[in-house]
Amino acid sequence: MHLKYESQLREPLVSGNKNYHQVTEDIVGPIEAKPTKLWYIGFYIAVALLMFGVYSVYREVTYGIGQWNLNKTIGWGWDITNFVWWVGIGHAGTLISAILLLFRQGWRTGVNRAAEAMTIFAVMCAGQFPIFHMGRVWMAFFVLPYPNSRGPLWVNFNSPLLWDVFAISTYFTVSLLFWYSGLIPDFATVRDRAKTKLRKRLYGTAAFGWTGSTKHWQRHESLSLVLAGLSTPLVLSVHTIVSFDFATSVIPGWHTTIFPPYFVAGAIFSGFAMVQSLMIIVRKVFNLQDYVTLGHIEAMNKVIVLTGSIVGIAYLTELFMGWYSQNKYEGYTFWYSRAYLFSPYGWSYWGMMACNVLSPQIFWSRKMRRNLFVTFFMSVIVNIGMWFERFVIIVTSLYRDYLPSSWSVYYSPSTYEIGFYLGTFGLFFTCFFLFAKYFPTIAIAEIKYVLKTTGDNYKEDMSKVEKMKVDEFVHEYAH
Amino acid sequence: MEQKKYWQSFGEFNNSEAYNQAVKDEFQEELPFESQTGLLETTSPRRDFLKYLGFSTAAAAVAASCEMPVKKAIPFANKPEDIVPGIANYYATTYVQDGEAVSVIAKVRDGRPIKIEGNDLCPLTKGGTSARVQASVLDLYDTARLRFPTIAGKEVTYEAIDKSIADAINSLGGAPIVVLTSSVVSPSTKEVIGQFLAKHPGSKHVTYDAISYNAITLANEIAYGKKAIPSYRFDNAKMIVSLSADFLGTWISPVEFTKQYAKGKRINEKQPEMSKHFHFESVASLTGSNADERFLHRPSEAGVVAVALLNAVNGQAITNITDEALKTGITKAAKALLASKGEALVVAGTNDVNVQLVVNAINEAIQSNGKTIDWSALYTLGQGSDADFAQLLDDMNAGKVGGLFVLGANPVYTWSDSAKVVAALGKVKLTVSFSGKLDETSKLIKYVLPNHHYLESWGDAEIKTGYYSLLQPTIYPLFKTRQWQDSLLKWSGATTDYLAFLKGFWSTKLGSEAAWDKALQDGVIVPAAATIGSAAYNASALSNAVSTIASAKKVTGIELQLYQKIGIGAGQSATNPWLQEMPDPISKATWDNYLIVSPAMAKTLLNIDLTNGGQADAYEVQPPKHVVEISVNGKSVKLPTLIIPGTHPSTVGIAVGYGRNAELGKSAVSDEGTPLGANVYPFASLSGKVVSFDVANVTLKDTGDTYKVALTQTHNVYNTSQGNRTEVMKELTLGEYKHNPLEIRAEREAELAPYGGIENFEKQGTIYPVYDRPGIKWGMSIDLNSCTGCGACVVACNAENNIPVVGKPEVLRGHEMHWLRIDRYYSGEDLNNPKVVFQPLMCQHCDNAPCENVCPVAATNHSSEGLNQMTYNRCIGTRYCANNCPYKVRRFNWADYTGADSFPNNQADVLNNVVLDMNDDLTRMVLNPDVTVRSRGVIEKCSFCVQRLQAGKLNAKKESRILEDSDVKVACQQACPSDAIVFGNANSTKSAITAHRKDNPNRLFLSLEQIHVLPNVTYLAKVRNIEEEGAHGHKQTHEGAAEHHTEATHH
Repeated sequence: MHLKYESQLREPLVSGNKNYHQVTEDIVGPIEAKPTKLWYIGFYIAVALLMFGVYSVYREVTYGIGQWNLNKTIGWGWDITNFVWWVGIGHAGTLISAILLLFRQGWRTGVNRAAEAMTIFAVMCAGQFPIFHMGRVWMAFFVLPYPNSRGPLWVNFNSPLLWDVFAISTYFTVSLLFWYSGLIPDFATVRDRAKTKLRKRLYGTAAFGWTGSTKHWQRHESLSLVLAGLSTPLVLSVHTIVSFDFATSVIPGWHTTIFPPYFVAGAIFSGFAMVQSLMIIVRKVFNLQDYVTLGHIEAMNKVIVLTGSIVGIAYLTELFMGWYSQNKYEGYTFWYSRAYLFSPYGWSYWGMMACNVLSPQIFWSRKMRRNLFVTFFMSVIVNIGMWFERFVIIVTSLYRDYLPSSWSVYYSPSTYEIGFYLGTFGLFFTCFFLFAKYFPTIAIAEIKYVLKTTGDNYKEDMSKVEKMKVDEFVHEYAH
Repeated sequence: MEQKKYWQSFGEFNNSEAYNQAVKDEFQEELPFESQTGLLETTSPRRDFLKYLGFSTAAAAVAASCEMPVKKAIPFANKPEDIVPGIANYYATTYVQDGEAVSVIAKVRDGRPIKIEGNDLCPLTKGGTSARVQASVLDLYDTARLRFPTIAGKEVTYEAIDKSIADAINSLGGAPIVVLTSSVVSPSTKEVIGQFLAKHPGSKHVTYDAISYNAITLANEIAYGKKAIPSYRFDNAKMIVSLSADFLGTWISPVEFTKQYAKGKRINEKQPEMSKHFHFESVASLTGSNADERFLHRPSEAGVVAVALLNAVNGQAITNITDEALKTGITKAAKALLASKGEALVVAGTNDVNVQLVVNAINEAIQSNGKTIDWSALYTLGQGSDADFAQLLDDMNAGKVGGLFVLGANPVYTWSDSAKVVAALGKVKLTVSFSGKLDETSKLIKYVLPNHHYLESWGDAEIKTGYYSLLQPTIYPLFKTRQWQDSLLKWSGATTDYLAFLKGFWSTKLGSEAAWDKALQDGVIVPAAATIGSAAYNASALSNAVSTIASAKKVTGIELQLYQKIGIGAGQSATNPWLQEMPDPISKATWDNYLIVSPAMAKTLLNIDLTNGGQADAYEVQPPKHVVEISVNGKSVKLPTLIIPGTHPSTVGIAVGYGRNAELGKSAVSDEGTPLGANVYPFASLSGKVVSFDVANVTLKDTGDTYKVALTQTHNVYNTSQGNRTEVMKELTLGEYKHNPLEIRAEREAELAPYGGIENFEKQGTIYPVYDRPGIKWGMSIDLNSCTGCGACVVACNAENNIPVVGKPEVLRGHEMHWLRIDRYYSGEDLNNPKVVFQPLMCQHCDNAPCENVCPVAATNHSSEGLNQMTYNRCIGTRYCANNCPYKVRRFNWADYTGADSFPNNQADVLNNVVLDMNDDLTRMVLNPDVTVRSRGVIEKCSFCVQRLQAGKLNAKKESRILEDSDVKVACQQACPSDAIVFGNANSTKSAITAHRKDNPNRLFLSLEQIHVLPNVTYLAKVRNIEEEGAHGHKQTHEGAAEHHTEATHH
């Protein structure tokens, strides 16, 4: 699936003169070795956070949503902010694996596995919020349209929340399948190298009897293409549908037609930032710098500056429309509740602007794009900014909407509200640590696939060829 | 050697063609690129599907069905004849509290009273009620009620306590006994007291009311020779001037006055005329907020203002008034009064005899006597005498009183010098209290024989001369209480009980027992022909009064005025959770009293400048408010401060009735046991013969501390920095209306012009088809002109719909559950004295409801009758509907407020004692069995009292006739003392709602009409009776000239 010829001008996607065996060693090695101390520390912190999250959710389920500081005016706060934030993060994985696959972007191979894993874990985290934000979570199954004995009761297909149910569950299913189908050949590799019975058995089961026959590969490739085809519209649809939660409402600040593209761009923006945060750590910790090169980092930074600018334009468009519509309610939300720095939540809007629009502009500089420290720092800033964006959309629209009589007092989260959010971090990192330890974090098979066309060896071989005069080349390769 | 042939299969052995072909093909099977069979032809394992479905459903059901607590309902062993389970009985009775009497109907379901309605047969209140009347049913089930008689706190039997009191009386050795009560409105009780006093020579009856009307009665005694309060006829007055009299809220008979006042405020659109109301006051009150024009003065200037008005009415110059606005106001008021001679009325709330004498003179000058003041019917309330009580205290302290029998009065709490009362009580040998609760006074009393609640009592009340209202029990006494008249009769040596006495009393009076039965059934006895009487006026004391006022020293410092809250009154209702949680109509605060300051004083005292957007925002969004120490004459209290426009810049106000003791119930104190608010009665003082609630020489000090005040509304203007939200609320002046009756309609046309104007808006405002809505279509129309914002509807809604009380901590977090709220907005450009408008807001039952389409599980939907319905047991609590409601009327059950949750033991840790108390088995008896008690995690909201609609329809159906207006009355409509709410079938040509909308096309508007949610609640715009300044006033509210104020409040 890759161009046979790659220009010398392009950086190698895999550096360090690797051969196939080295690739396997580098990637499977950490799985077979004992985890490091650092891994244990990180893992236990993640589990501790997860436990706190579980306790927070227990409080909320037992005592009620009143454990959070939402009120009669602000019905959604941190819960849905976090939901949209996590779903957004979950976008990069699919984008990288599906859209870049279809676009034949070779550089995706270095990061797609981890990005997909991140997607799945992020969607798992995201899913917690719409489920546990329900006042009666034990009745959550009411949102599933299945034949039931409760009379002619059916779900409401008009509700964007129901669309969410379908969008998120479809997205999760397809992403999981895609991720898992990519993992099968690599599991087989781990299985084949396994020295213990248990390991052989577990990875053997996970590998579904993969033998590496041409037929397996043929089917694998076909399945990948099909799933990529399925995922591609999902990348666009999921966040579009999430944005419908707001766009189809009547609340000033929510009722906005620009939301679908703006949300998708924002999702890719935050997703790539999260991939950056994770991969910069993973490549360092597992010594995978040769596979996730500065070239990869730079490519993703380019996506970040592009999508960051798209959301910036969206923000400015909203402000413009707030004025141009001459709608006093929209005007108030956009120009007072948000853009006026000294209004109660003005700080969150300008926090968002600074993090999402202004700071990524630093990536117009190649030097900055290739600076690991700056990239890592920026990736965190972008995710903070994107969290603010969702907070701004949800809270600053709700807290002062139509009737001034119902305007809310200042909303800040309760301990358990924060705890739930931290808990999803716990869930995410617990999963990610387990993934990093037990799963091949880089798609071995796919790296091997591009190695020949883009690896250092190839580049070296080809550089000789490049330097040849035409006569020499003809002479050399004529027969 | 011949090569051995190894073969793997027969195919290879035979070297068949098929085999060779297979060897050549790497992929032997058909590649699964295309489905071989259609979806329908697959051998899909249907059984497996059903198996998995069955399993998962069962698993989900098992997982979801936590065990619910089992509550048993026990049927009657012997069914009482007149009780049919599920069918309510209605009994006429009378709400009586300290002289205030309102004729009511108690709704009794399965033997327990659950709702109070006004008695339509009463010609005074005509079915109107107040918030306190509505809430009184909850007092019946108060867990803090005393449950048995006690001697020094120990339970005893009535035999024992009777004997012991008889012995004590005998041992007094003839020392006089004093019966101390608040105003007694019952004629039969007066006779009972008379018998008791006769039996014990030297004894006397002293009446003491916490809120004194002594100045009025004393002034009337001087000027008219009658020591009483006459009837005021606001309905006959086209011009009303009130000098600090909060007659719509707390003054004398607010329910009756509201009824009368609303009559004058209701306008006929074709011939727009309405009464005009000038109000002069110091601290923002409900009445002042409803006035057409309000002017502010210091409390100490009450006399000067009255004299100035008198002078102006008499054509003399106004002296002594330096404030130009005030002076203009007096001039205008005087002019208006003179123009409506015989149809004008001046009332004054100040408890100062001289001021009342001057007011009497003004009323004489404008010929009110016999026209708007009726001397033929005198109030029975306000009999209390401050001077008599002060004398009694002296007598007690001097040891001249042998026995003190107390009912209704609570002087330890309400008398300014509480220590003196306590000391005096200590000097009385025999102290007996009939208080139903252990109030501050009863705590110090040896013998306590708790009286019945009025819903358990027999009795009668003479509201005014000739207007009687009767009491009958609606439930068997819940506790070992005894009606106090029975006690007195017993101790008088009578052999009959009070019921027999009462029956005899009335049978004699009415001529027959049948007449008594009829009266009991009606609840009221009214005079045959009501005529308005006058009284002879004597002006002799006037000049003295005027000169006393003129010579009074001018106060320069800060002044304090004590006032009554509409919900709490003198403090009697401080223990009622519904009333504590009812937002005060003016401050929108719950559960506390506080210091009211004007925006001007806030600037100097608290350094909060409401014209500075940032400071205004901070004040608004942060519940902690500055705590200020208020000191007067060495006494001081610390209270949080609220900035309430409409208050004089040099005056502060504090409500009485707070700072109660813990024995009175959970609602009187915080969870830590400290009293809610502070008692400010000590600031009152006895000046001359009357208690004065105006306090001079007040020192205020910002302590630097803060205290959270639970407000239900924090933003108070609908004019924002991005435009005036006139779609929310519409108001105009009578002048404007007369000039251009179509103004409001033109505004609406302009707003809806992009969608084809008002007529085509429904169709053109949407891309969806418009449906016919045949049959019943429920609708409501609210006349903002009549609505005074009193809050009776809010409490009525609480009672009817089992709305949970959530307690102060939850209100602070914006978790109050009221289905119906009254929004209070300020408008106009004077920040210190703005115009006020009230807007009752409940679910608007939108025909194109934004809440309905966002619910993922269709828990809220539209009925064919236009109701926006809420299905509680379908709701999963996503709160999406609440977010998407532009009116923010949906309420979420944030915690297990009602105990209806399936999770046990999840209240105590997170809810305060008041909520737990509301879940007591006793308190829960007040619940309306027709309305589901909502559990945690579901949304609820106004249902238009669907239970009443169903019952009404059923009635009509049973009688095979078309539904009429009289079949259905929603709770808020029924409670409203000003008849501002009209409800009914908007599809019927005969209904009142249709007429109401049809007759008022020019003022009709729908809140937020332009967003095309198509509400079923319509409003009639507020019209203020301001003629001359019409154009100007209009400009400031509607065309953005108020930007000044807007900018001020926002940037």
